[in-house]
Amino acid sequence: MNDSFRSQNKPALLKVQNLTIELTTRLGTAPVIDDVSFELHEGETLCFVGESGCGKSMTALALMGLLPEKVSRIASGSIEFNGVDVTQASADFLNQLRGNELSMIFQEPMTSLNPVFTVGEQIAEVLRHHQGVDKSTGVKLATQLLDQVKIPEAHRRVHSFPHELSGGQRQRVMIAMALACQPKLLIADEPTTALDVTVQAQIFDLLDELQKEHNTAIMLITHDMGVVAEMAERMVVMYAGRKIEEGPVDEVLQQPAHPYTRGLIACVPHLQAFMHEERVPLLEVPGVVPSLNQFGGNQCLFADRCDQVNERCLNNRPENKYTNQRSVACWYPTAEGVFL
Amino acid sequence: MNTPLLSVENLKVRFPVKRGLPWKAAQYVHAVDDVSFDIQRGETLGLVGESGSGKTTTALAVAKLINSWEGVVKLNGTDFFSLDKESLRLERANIQFIFQDPYSSLNPRLTAERIVSEPLRQLKNLSKKELAESVDDIFDAVGLRPEQKKLFPHQFSGGQRQRIGIARAIISKPQLVICDEPVSALDVAVQAQILNLLRDLQKRFNLTYLFISHDLGVVQHMCDRIAVMYMGKIVEFSNRMELFNSPQHPYTQALLSAVPSVDRKRRERVQRIVLSGDPPDPLNPVPGCHFAARCPSVDESIGCLKKFPPLDTVSESHQVACYRFKR
Repeated sequence: MNDSFRSQNKPALLKVQNLTIELTTRLGTAPVIDDVSFELHEGETLCFVGESGCGKSMTALALMGLLPEKVSRIASGSIEFNGVDVTQASADFLNQLRGNELSMIFQEPMTSLNPVFTVGEQIAEVLRHHQGVDKSTGVKLATQLLDQVKIPEAHRRVHSFPHELSGGQRQRVMIAMALACQPKLLIADEPTTALDVTVQAQIFDLLDELQKEHNTAIMLITHDMGVVAEMAERMVVMYAGRKIEEGPVDEVLQQPAHPYTRGLIACVPHLQAFMHEERVPLLEVPGVVPSLNQFGGNQCLFADRCDQVNERCLNNRPENKYTNQRSVACWYPTAEGVFL
Repeated sequence: MNTPLLSVENLKVRFPVKRGLPWKAAQYVHAVDDVSFDIQRGETLGLVGESGSGKTTTALAVAKLINSWEGVVKLNGTDFFSLDKESLRLERANIQFIFQDPYSSLNPRLTAERIVSEPLRQLKNLSKKELAESVDDIFDAVGLRPEQKKLFPHQFSGGQRQRIGIARAIISKPQLVICDEPVSALDVAVQAQILNLLRDLQKRFNLTYLFISHDLGVVQHMCDRIAVMYMGKIVEFSNRMELFNSPQHPYTQALLSAVPSVDRKRRERVQRIVLSGDPPDPLNPVPGCHFAARCPSVDESIGCLKKFPPLDTVSESHQVACYRFKR
């Protein structure tokens, strides 16, 4: 099965093909990522959505080569970044790649910064490692980066410790660190869940601006459909380790094909252009994400939460159906006229 | 006009902060600063604002879970704060809390049944049979199965734990339920289940909610009237329709515009106002409007930097604390 239904002149920056990652727990071995394929081009933003435990963050860790050792392994598939298969690469090569061409912003800025070093030293470390600059140049460049991510009084802040900064500023430091070497691909794993909406808006504006400037590809992991709508061009919906829907954001939001995607959109009370007096009950997706030992079964894993389930869903894993721009993994997709 | 269920007048909460030399006088964080509001029976009042704006502190002070500096809270017309210890304890049956984190707010050593029945054991004298019946009813009302009564919190999912928290809050038939971010720790699909449940229970038991959230989408769905807080002050107070369709305070406007939306029409209609900077230091409140430092339309000539603006009436059910509004 080939996922190259997007025809573009340039080859994709990132090409993930039939990636399967197995995780071993006390309950046995299960595929946390199950046959996932996608592509990401330069300057593009791709959003990954889904509830927690659906494999969004695992996908990101796999791309970075940061999968938890011993308990997890890449069972099959390939991750091609810039034409090189990362899954086969040596540790040295990965170290060269990470933080340089490939970097990541984590969810919790407090726990991912080192509390005993100043933020300047931490940013400079990236530059010293990858570009071989000396200590004082490193700090100078760090100041410029902090200025670039709009931290006020950067020359003073560069000597601050993480605990002296507010949540929004810490996340900016993380962004500055991730962008220090002007990466080709930036992975942002729920970069704003710990932040207030006004700060979230600032961070997204910043990412947008920096993306335009450097033509960075961004892979954004979120569970907020509003964020998807504002930030991304394409989106991938994950459920229980599988990619269940993919397509251009506007199309998927208007005409979701998979019942889970539909549920994710309709279960959140969104702000509308004009508020109405009446309030309809929210659409519920009953139940929760299946536990790990149910992953990988030969059935639709969404079946027990789906309102249109039948025999076929319980006995056969739905194949990915493709159109020009979109794909869906459901036996009975709903977007009218798109999937036949 | 009938008396409101809850009326809060000039509530102030301050926390002492010891910094620097031990013999220096303590400074105070003005966590809640002169907040007044009423809640009518059967309605949902929303408190929104960013973290650190004093939403939770207000709620805790209303339930007298922390001591307030100044102010009066009346429940059904009687002064809640001046009650002696024993009557306060019994009156607590009327104000119950649903907490944010369903993981840390349940005792891991007690069974679900025990957790849910705890308020009744403490507050009412019931026989074993009556107690069991109440628990059965409430388990049914919040959508938990009877066989789950003997399970411990760790055996439940996040959404189910929040259901236990809700059951515990409403079992004593309270008049006011304070919901402090009841869904923000839950997954999106589970949020919908809990929000629908809260609205069902409200209709069924005629509950009154004080609903705290930072998620404006959720507030819009749940609340009838909304108070927007910034740095311990209410800056705008309005019914649901007016607040979301014509916000008056620049902070409310910025807050609403910052919410990412799936509705393309809304994205085209609402101009994103990006606030610069962070909120000011709560230890040294500046004179004048607390929002002045970040306000896009601050104007010294109308007094923004001199004194905090009083709440002005926009319409019968809409007030705003901004000098600019009068112009």
